[in-house]
Amino acid sequence: MLTKIQSIANLGLETVPVTVEVDVAEKGFPGFTIVGLPSKAVGEARERVKTALVNSGFPFPNKKITVNLAPADLPKDGAAYDLPMAVGVLVAGGLVEIKNTDLTKCWFYGELSLDGSLRPTRGILLLALFAQKRRGSLILVPAESAQEAKVVPGIKVIPVERMTELMVHLTQVKPITPLLHTPIETSLEQVQPEFDLRDIAGQEQAKRALIIAAAGGHNLLMWGPPGTGKTMLARALPGILPPLTPQEALEVTRVYSIAGLLTAGEAVVQKRPFRSPHHGVSAAGLIGGGTNPLPGEVSLAHLGVLFLDEMPEFPRSVLEALRQPMEDGVIEIVRVSGHVKYPASFTLLAAINPCPCGYLGHPRRPCTCTDKMIAKYRHRISGPILDRIDLTVQVAAVEVEKLAVNNEPETGNRVNSQEAKVMVMKAREIQTKRFKGLKIYTNSQMHNREVKQLAELTPEAENLLKMAVEKYDFSARSYFRLIKVARTIADLTAVKEILPQHMAEALQYKQIA
Amino acid sequence: MEYKRLDKWRERAELKGLLDLAQKPEELYYRGRWRKTLFDHGVAIVGSRRMSQYGRRVIELIVPKLALEGKTIISGFMYGVDQYAHRVALASGGKTIAVLGWGIKERLEASDEQLARDIIKAGGSVLSEWEEQRAMLWTFPLRNRIVTALSKEVIVVEAALKSGSLITAAWAEKLGRKLWAVPGPINSQVSQGTNQLIATGQAEMWLDHSYQPQLSQTKDPLILKVREEAMTASELARVLKQPVAEVGAQLSLLALKGEVVEREGKYYAS
Repeated sequence: MLTKIQSIANLGLETVPVTVEVDVAEKGFPGFTIVGLPSKAVGEARERVKTALVNSGFPFPNKKITVNLAPADLPKDGAAYDLPMAVGVLVAGGLVEIKNTDLTKCWFYGELSLDGSLRPTRGILLLALFAQKRRGSLILVPAESAQEAKVVPGIKVIPVERMTELMVHLTQVKPITPLLHTPIETSLEQVQPEFDLRDIAGQEQAKRALIIAAAGGHNLLMWGPPGTGKTMLARALPGILPPLTPQEALEVTRVYSIAGLLTAGEAVVQKRPFRSPHHGVSAAGLIGGGTNPLPGEVSLAHLGVLFLDEMPEFPRSVLEALRQPMEDGVIEIVRVSGHVKYPASFTLLAAINPCPCGYLGHPRRPCTCTDKMIAKYRHRISGPILDRIDLTVQVAAVEVEKLAVNNEPETGNRVNSQEAKVMVMKAREIQTKRFKGLKIYTNSQMHNREVKQLAELTPEAENLLKMAVEKYDFSARSYFRLIKVARTIADLTAVKEILPQHMAEALQYKQIA
Repeated sequence: MEYKRLDKWRERAELKGLLDLAQKPEELYYRGRWRKTLFDHGVAIVGSRRMSQYGRRVIELIVPKLALEGKTIISGFMYGVDQYAHRVALASGGKTIAVLGWGIKERLEASDEQLARDIIKAGGSVLSEWEEQRAMLWTFPLRNRIVTALSKEVIVVEAALKSGSLITAAWAEKLGRKLWAVPGPINSQVSQGTNQLIATGQAEMWLDHSYQPQLSQTKDPLILKVREEAMTASELARVLKQPVAEVGAQLSLLALKGEVVEREGKYYAS
């Protein structure tokens, strides 16, 4: 008898239906064949399905079994076809009788363990979003991964613990209770930041730069000797970015679902991601890769922060790979099996030492580098990457005795993350209004044309900028970068035009020579 | 990379300083156009290859003034103090002579070559006593004797103990050139040599008195603070108890007007 079970294949973030056709023939030598471009993992499903069924107490049909994964020309990968195959064998072999269930509305997806239980499987959220587009869908997935599907409205999610449980459900002897739909909003309650700005001693200007970066979506470069708090500052950034909107949370969760990085029972990613790859990372690790490409660090940092500590230590080829995502907010990965697209819109936070030994300009420790070594070190980051970094700020070594004067009146230098977040959100609101109808959301995304139209300078501010261009020999790119930053600074104080003081402050964050 | 051999240098009046040397150079090779006046009043600026921020500021204070007085800055073309002295001399419109510690025919690194060309373009000169000679440990002290002999005065900006700059200082003593040393922080390695020169009386202390009265009568608390001590924007915001955004904006304006100077994140009074 022939049975068709529905499942899916995830190609990057794109989901396509896959029909698992199982035929249990009365004639022919007993055997179990899988066709339809199965990968090694899919081929091995034969042993898992057989053992899992036997260990669950089902008789395994001693007949010729043929499984076809259609469309037959699409390569299939992963262990998630275990479940649809097992169900197909049982139905086609006449071992169970399904009642009150329309198999054409059911989607099966999940990996089997040899004892007949189901193992957590990647990409369940994508299945749920796919099933949502077809009315009255039912998805049957491993219980441990089912949580991520419950945020999708309009479908029924059946969490399955073991094969035996699934069979009593399908025969309607003892149905499994579907998961309750929980809207994303409810799981997005106030998330405490990991590091509060207030806990970082000194570094007033660096903190200010973080707020500007968060408000305008600008990329930020921090430079300073080791141990001055660059990493702490970086970790504080997600906490002052506006909270994820439900739409954004779903987008982030999709990436984490396909990467298999959601912890068991986690429904949605609640915090803005913070990724900090080590400088030993390969280009594939950073932008994504593999035969069936999985998302890399840039995609895992989508809508969050990508922190590159000691940026010049990253191989140049790896850094160059950042150019496309920094420009377009997406990354395209091309492999033999086809090409996939992952979102990769992140705020880049880079940290560099002032020189190879790290102690240039340190108040106590001598620097042992020569001018040439320093120049070479700084040149390791290519111009095109630096061009996309709007803000540069120094994180100097803190002299403890100078911190003691901090019994000051409130000057706004010691903001906490909550206050900073409010400032950032107000500035973002202004930007949303400004860019209505355009496809940009923050000042950092403005192109030169928009800068000319939407970032108006007072004549005094323009004069100031011209003076600076002459004195510091700025390129045209730096010129526009400064205006963008000044625009964000003005937005932070809710001022319509860019005033001289905004431009003057923006000059503080110009690139180091 | 065109160079020439100087004919009969011993007969040239402008080079009579070199005759003071017991071990005179056999030949002299040079790049650029030979200008007699270049040697009228040479001041040697020497110092450590490992220049500190302090050394950098010292050069920025001393060299432009010497250049303005029409003096020629002579130095050894090594990275660190030497090259920075050349660069500042060029930037302030002065003339400078680079004495190489290797043969004139040796190829220079791209950035060094650029500096050499700039020196020549500004009417200065690049000199060596060798035509073909790789840089060796022994070539540098020999170069120092020419740097000293060509100069009327020698200013040691920064020098560690047992450094090449102290060899230059010893040459200056031997040849009877006026020797200055710039005092530095006593905890800085690259100032130990200069401080020692002062302590032993070998060198006169360079205090740059003419600089003090030029200070404008300002009431700007920011300028007053950075005159006391160089500070970062964050530190200034902290001691002045003002928002860092405002302090930053003011510093940018003062820097544009040239009233403060920013180096590696710290602000100095100009």
